[in-house]
Amino acid sequence: MSSIEAGGVQPARDGSVRVVLVDDHAIFRSGLKADLDSKISVVGEAGTVEQAIAVIAQTRPDVVLLDVHLPGGLGGGGREVIAGSNALLGTTRFLALSVSDAAEDVVAVIRAGARGYVTKTISGAEITDAVLRVAGGDAVFSPRLAGFVLDAFGTAPADIADDELDRLSARELEVMRLIARGYSYKEVAKELFISIKTVETHVSAVLRKLQLSSRHELTKWAAERRLL
Amino acid sequence: MSTPVLRPPLVRSADRVIAGVCAGLAMHLGWPVRYLRMGMVVATLAGGAGLVFYAWLWIMVPTADESAKRNARRPASPIAPAVSGPLPAQSTWSNSDIGLPPGPMGYRAPPGSSVASAFTWQDPAGEAVFTDPTWQSGLPAGVPASGSAQSVSGMVRPVNGDSQAWFRFRRMPYAKEILLGIGLLLAGAILIARLLGVDVPLGTLIPAAAILGGASIAWMQLDETRRAGIVDKAKANQAGGWVRLAAGLALVVAGVLVMVSGSGSWEQTWLALLASVAVLGGVAVVLLPWGLKFWRDLEAERAGRVRATERAEIAAHLHDSVLQTLALIQRRAGNEHDVVRLARAQERELRSWLYRDEGKDIGNLSERIKAVAAEVEDALGQAVEVVNVGDTAMTERHEALVQASREAMLNAARHGGGSVSVYVEASDKEVEVFVKDRGAGFDLHSVPDDRLGVRESIIGRMKRHGGTAVINSGPEGTEVRLGLPAVAAEQGETTS
Repeated sequence: MSSIEAGGVQPARDGSVRVVLVDDHAIFRSGLKADLDSKISVVGEAGTVEQAIAVIAQTRPDVVLLDVHLPGGLGGGGREVIAGSNALLGTTRFLALSVSDAAEDVVAVIRAGARGYVTKTISGAEITDAVLRVAGGDAVFSPRLAGFVLDAFGTAPADIADDELDRLSARELEVMRLIARGYSYKEVAKELFISIKTVETHVSAVLRKLQLSSRHELTKWAAERRLL
Repeated sequence: MSTPVLRPPLVRSADRVIAGVCAGLAMHLGWPVRYLRMGMVVATLAGGAGLVFYAWLWIMVPTADESAKRNARRPASPIAPAVSGPLPAQSTWSNSDIGLPPGPMGYRAPPGSSVASAFTWQDPAGEAVFTDPTWQSGLPAGVPASGSAQSVSGMVRPVNGDSQAWFRFRRMPYAKEILLGIGLLLAGAILIARLLGVDVPLGTLIPAAAILGGASIAWMQLDETRRAGIVDKAKANQAGGWVRLAAGLALVVAGVLVMVSGSGSWEQTWLALLASVAVLGGVAVVLLPWGLKFWRDLEAERAGRVRATERAEIAAHLHDSVLQTLALIQRRAGNEHDVVRLARAQERELRSWLYRDEGKDIGNLSERIKAVAAEVEDALGQAVEVVNVGDTAMTERHEALVQASREAMLNAARHGGGSVSVYVEASDKEVEVFVKDRGAGFDLHSVPDDRLGVRESIIGRMKRHGGTAVINSGPEGTEVRLGLPAVAAEQGETTS
């Protein structure tokens, strides 16, 4: 875990962030590539689980844009790619990208180690922003993911320290609520009179809880909640 | 990292020495195959335990080919897994629990008819799909379904109508108790008749009763395991079923023997019983692998049929929705606004179809808000994203909240120019709705008095129903916050 928390990634020589696109639709990949900013250079593409693991191991990118549903492998999709690239988790960050709104898909890939989740319908500028944020070591939460988190962890703040991993602190709840309401990190910071850096710290803490909480309800909840 | 270990399924490997059991097990566990083989040999020396284990796995574990045939292959499309994955399939099956005719085959077919007919006279999967009301409502009236769907449904329906009668018969309350009562009454009558001096041929009656009783126990069992197998693939409570099956079998065998031997001498009967059990055991040993293979083939075939009907359903749906929309989009390719609106509407429709939750109550607040958001999206062509946490049942006050939210969404979509974020949080204490846009914002005091939109439809409406409405507008956008506390007097209205 500590390896993931480690600080910023060294950018490529020309200052751009090196990215691998993993999606089984070639049309979507090319569209996405055209949409991405010049600050991002795409160094590899893959369409299946096996290809993805190979390309990631070979190119060692800063960020992998990873579709949740992928053919190949043992049927585990994006989760399997992350598991297969376990050795690189310290230097390579994964950003999940999906058309699926199903909570179980999202939660599974986040728990496998992805640093964020965005839907495929967001604009190129937003994806660029998310990639840069993930490359900088932050977590990226869409309003929907924040909603999932609130639903899974409950909206009551933690009062005692012993179930620290299973509950969100009052501040983290506030941040998640604002993100679910459609606030950007900047707007959250302004609303709560805190710095953007503090917002990012809170979001990373929530991500860590989401990944590490052994709360069995979390998995059960995700499995039961197929619709959202 | 708490990543769960992904294990390949346990199948017999093609790379084999005897039957591929060790190689398959090694692949499943991720251990070196050599150690497993050595372990198996060592265990064999320990009283043959390894041999028995090997044989057991040989029988129970399918080969890689069989396994692949049985499991639905995951299609490459990112949306299709949600349709053909195990979960939705199971939910359609459990629906069929009520519609399925659970009558034991003994009621329907004479006991002499072959077992195979009992497996084929109804197709649980096909029927489940076609009695599913959501499927029928998914097709607009008058739109022809795809050919294959029609032919399948035509084939199944007669069985379906017939089955309803059996369903009613079987659901007769206390059927078991009534049967038991009748049996006891008969026994009592026989006893009284004997006391009165009537000669009752007990020597024939008791074995006959034993045969009847045993057979009915066994048949009921057949029926119930079938139902359990359909409803719950895990077959959790099969142990009790096997005991009942064995008891039924024993009763029948004993009855037949007593009847055939006729004498009633215990010694003879006992010996004959032993011999027949031995014969039955031998037959079972010989036939078990055949039976297993037969059962697996049946399962594979049934799974194939389920897939075929699912495919037909998907094809019909895609034809009615996605293909039509794509055609519309092509014809309106020049108008960007229309294209985006069509694509959004189609996405919404497809999403709700793919991820629909059958157990979910449509009358709940979150669904109402989503429906209203869809309305606004259609009317104004701006994306309205709804995120909800918790849920609650609708009341009159919640309807007011929904209407106020609708007004807020309309304003946001009209003046905000960009996507609108809606967040609904329902707890036991209150329901909150936030509607946010990224428009230029406005000053509430500068809104002319004759404009009723904000003042009346949002703020006034919320106040009348004991709620609050706060409008926060700035250069970066406007957010409308609506709150509706749960009133203590209206107990039980919140479910979340």
